[in-house]
Amino acid sequence: MKGLTSLERIIVESLGKHGQPFETIQEQTGLQENVCFNLLQALILKGIISFEKKTYQINPRISPLIIEEKNGQEAKKAESLEVIEAIADMKEDKLYRFQKIALDEKDEKIFKAMLHNLESFLKEANEKSQSSTLLKDKKIIFWGMSDVQKVVKQIVKG
Amino acid sequence: MSLQNSTIQRYRLFYPQETLREISARTGIQITRVFRLVNGKPMRLKEFEAFEKAIQIKIAENPNQSRLNKNIEEASSILSHEELGRIADYIERKVNTRKFTRNLLSPIFEEAVIA
Repeated sequence: MKGLTSLERIIVESLGKHGQPFETIQEQTGLQENVCFNLLQALILKGIISFEKKTYQINPRISPLIIEEKNGQEAKKAESLEVIEAIADMKEDKLYRFQKIALDEKDEKIFKAMLHNLESFLKEANEKSQSSTLLKDKKIIFWGMSDVQKVVKQIVKG
Repeated sequence: MSLQNSTIQRYRLFYPQETLREISARTGIQITRVFRLVNGKPMRLKEFEAFEKAIQIKIAENPNQSRLNKNIEEASSILSHEELGRIADYIERKVNTRKFTRNLLSPIFEEAVIA
């Protein structure tokens, strides 16, 4: 399998640069104790993280090949699809819009400018609250746009 | 992992809570013999078939299982290597996530083989 599962990814992200003890990882991720432990063990077996002095950390001797395999384009695509699917499957507490919209050239430019502003806003908001927000309390936000015809072509291509 | 180990593990996945007595009743194998088998005694072909039959019955209870099998068969002849890879990746992710979130039996029957 290319990449990490979304649960493995959340564990890896919770470790930060200097590693974390089990309790902090569990608090950051909000995972059940046994699930959190299982994931940590699986990541150790894969050689992605290590456990020293009661702290789990990213394996400093991890090979560039493994990094590429876990963080490459294909891996990122599979992981983001997994997350989007989970959001689409959620019964409540979600905001999910998926629509075909007719946009003339002018409105498309306006929309892209609004997206640009949105991106700046999110970047600033993230910088402001990053250190005080637990990983589990962060929001997952995604957007995308393409032409129907191009999407259809891609689907036909496979 | 030997075929016998894999069969017992699969049986345990489909019937995780069963006692030895219940396994015995389901498979028609004597309880003392079931005890020996799950502790690694080599299986006879008839016993192997009894475990496999119980697994197949459980699989048949889920209509999506036959759909999945049918689609995989068709996909393997129609889809490209890349598309098949993506489907395999998707299934692998689902399976891995499920493994992490439920307590699976560990493979404890390393030495057992089919008699």
